[in-house]
Amino acid sequence: MKVNSHGPQATTNLKQRFFLWSAIILLGGGVILSLLSFWNTRRLLMNDAMTKSEVILREVEAIRFYIKQELRPKMFDLHGNDTFIVEAMSTTYISTRIMARFAETMPDYLYRRASLNPHNPDNLADPFEEEMFTWFEEDSNRLFWQGIVKKNGSSYFISMVPDYFSKSCIRCHGKAEEAPQELTKRYGTDGGFRFKNGDLAGINSVAIPVSEAMREAWYGSIYLFIITLGGSVLLLWLLNLLFQRLVIERLGTMLALIGEKKKGKAKLPMGDEIDFLHASLGSLNQYVSSARKGSTLQPNFIGDYIVTDPISAGTMSWIYNGYEQKTKQKVSFKIGYGQLLQNPFYRACFETELFLFKELDHPSIPKVKEHLNDTLIFEQIHGNSLNGVLNPKGIDLRQVKLLFSQLCDLISTLHSAGIVHHDLRPDVFMLSEKDKLLMIDMGLASIDQQEDPIIAAGLGPQGDFLYMAPEVLQGSRGNPCSDIYGLGLLLYIALSGKLPFDEENCSKNKWLRKKEDIATIEKIRENIPDSFAPIVTKAISFDYKERYQWVEDLWGDLNLALRDD
Amino acid sequence: MRLMVFSDIHGNLEALQSVLKDSEKQNIHRHICLGDLVGYGPFPNECVEIVKNLKKCRCIAGNHDVAALWETSPYGMSKSAKEAILWTMEQLTDTNKDFLANLPDRIDLSDMSFVHANPYNPRGWHYVLDRKYAMRSFAATHCKYLFIGHSHRPLIISRKNFLSVTVKSIHGSEKILPDEKKRHIINCGSVGQPRDDDPRASYLVFDTLKQEIELHRVIYDSSVTVAALQKTDLPSSLYKRLIKGT
Repeated sequence: MKVNSHGPQATTNLKQRFFLWSAIILLGGGVILSLLSFWNTRRLLMNDAMTKSEVILREVEAIRFYIKQELRPKMFDLHGNDTFIVEAMSTTYISTRIMARFAETMPDYLYRRASLNPHNPDNLADPFEEEMFTWFEEDSNRLFWQGIVKKNGSSYFISMVPDYFSKSCIRCHGKAEEAPQELTKRYGTDGGFRFKNGDLAGINSVAIPVSEAMREAWYGSIYLFIITLGGSVLLLWLLNLLFQRLVIERLGTMLALIGEKKKGKAKLPMGDEIDFLHASLGSLNQYVSSARKGSTLQPNFIGDYIVTDPISAGTMSWIYNGYEQKTKQKVSFKIGYGQLLQNPFYRACFETELFLFKELDHPSIPKVKEHLNDTLIFEQIHGNSLNGVLNPKGIDLRQVKLLFSQLCDLISTLHSAGIVHHDLRPDVFMLSEKDKLLMIDMGLASIDQQEDPIIAAGLGPQGDFLYMAPEVLQGSRGNPCSDIYGLGLLLYIALSGKLPFDEENCSKNKWLRKKEDIATIEKIRENIPDSFAPIVTKAISFDYKERYQWVEDLWGDLNLALRDD
Repeated sequence: MRLMVFSDIHGNLEALQSVLKDSEKQNIHRHICLGDLVGYGPFPNECVEIVKNLKKCRCIAGNHDVAALWETSPYGMSKSAKEAILWTMEQLTDTNKDFLANLPDRIDLSDMSFVHANPYNPRGWHYVLDRKYAMRSFAATHCKYLFIGHSHRPLIISRKNFLSVTVKSIHGSEKILPDEKKRHIINCGSVGQPRDDDPRASYLVFDTLKQEIELHRVIYDSSVTVAALQKTDLPSSLYKRLIKGT
């Protein structure tokens, strides 16, 4: 289905926006996922290297202690104090040789013994090891270091421990002239001497190369990103398809309808389809408002009838006056709002309303003469909207009695038939000059033996929040006590000329709080007997269980109060 | 609110008119008819018309009403009932058949429910006269007061606890204040064919404010109905039981 009936810019904007934001979210998610994966692999790798390098280093340390404390003294015992056999008594030589053999089978574990002034020049500290010497010398409590170091373009994980001279070491590392001949013959007298007991002899380290593993982790993250990217593209395509089918095409149909009506009349707004719809609903609202004010929006002919001036507007329809062409007999029309009835849910409500007008027989319900498509033709409706009749200071008690005897009987008739009106407010009633009440709107009514279209559609509360019972505001339908709340408010307005709360437009939750906060009404106004206040208080109780449960009970109390007066 | 509940008119026009005349004194606000407008009696159309046009009245379907529309087979009924239904089918106008066809099986109003026979299987038409079916009925509803007809015998069944009930037949006109803490099944008896050995037509009024049940028995001129029945080919047992109330 093509959806470009109202301009190419607007038709693609929403889809583009949806696509762009979905792509950003999915790609962003992919990047974050890949980075998290890399971080986690690196963390696991480091933990593994840390554990392994420390184990090896501790092993070497154990060997060195064994030489110092057991092997070397034993050798002195066997060969005398002047003897020094490097292969059996030097901790550095033995540990270096053992680890060199170890490295033949495990080349990834590199052991080093580094010193600033070694006997063996091979053990001379490199610049990094020199830095570490300084670090260990700064604080003698520093006994271990681990970290990643770059050497020759590769990364290594290194564990390091310092080694301090003990008394037994000074013989070979003190004065060169006192050192064993075996030692000076092998290494000369240049390096490895002039130390004292407690000096930092050297640092022992185990290095594990991690460059390769880190590279693999990085590649793994890139693969993950590529897979996520592929999945995202597929998901985007599916989402795009779904969005096109579920939203764009249906929205397009609605916009096409609006577009047809507006063709050549209005300038298209900038923005996407929703903006356009918003603007269209705004103009529809204006259209309805102007109709309510009785402007010149008169349809001319409906069947054999001529339509004249508008009387009022209901939830989903206009009420017009008119007459039959042949007989000149005056009639009134109930004409559904064409655009609103495009929505199947509102259409279902409207059809329920038409059904009720045709089926119900009550003096306060206009008699239906004919039903033509979305129009009902009534016998002429006389009078004015109740909204205009209700005086700002309240109407007199005689009128209250006339009004509420009809109103209560009407609502009781509806309830007896299993119908709940849900939208009782002054605008839905007309009052003739002879005080005959007529109800002209039942657009939100429900019938207990039929499925409620508003519940079936999962729609929230419909109608004017101002007059709505709290439980209806909370989404409940079909409770006759909700109409008793409406009657209570109408009674309050009739007696006082105003509502018991301010009429400021606000959110649903704020309305609920307002309605809950109404205190017990002590006095409605001057010249009104106190006996009316408890009736209104009970009728508009926030909890429906505390209200009158039956219209007849409300009328019973009201009639008594009116009679007492 | 004062609610009139009546049931099982069974085409007995004289009884229905007497009951409605009597109810005019009772300050009734609304009416509920628990079904069986037709069957047995000689005036099915007249009775349907009266109930249909009664102000603020709702009606539910009874077994004879649905049988007269062939929605259930009359061949499962007793011989006299079957013959009466077959006769009624021929008498009913299309408009009245439409009215009967659109009657619901159950109505719920506030803390009250209304069915013809029972709420757990409304078209099974079991009589609720004892503990077993009363417990099933209580389980199938949440209401405080369940109003039924069908058995043609006025009675009140009150739920004592999870396991037991009390069953009390109501004889003659009586006012009953049911225990407000308990749930009750109330049978309003029959307008057109009482079967509790009292030939007077029966209906009840429930006052929601006082929570009081008033059972009313109304004497009517059964000879009019008997005479009309005699003019048909329907079995004589049908008018004999009207005279005896059995």
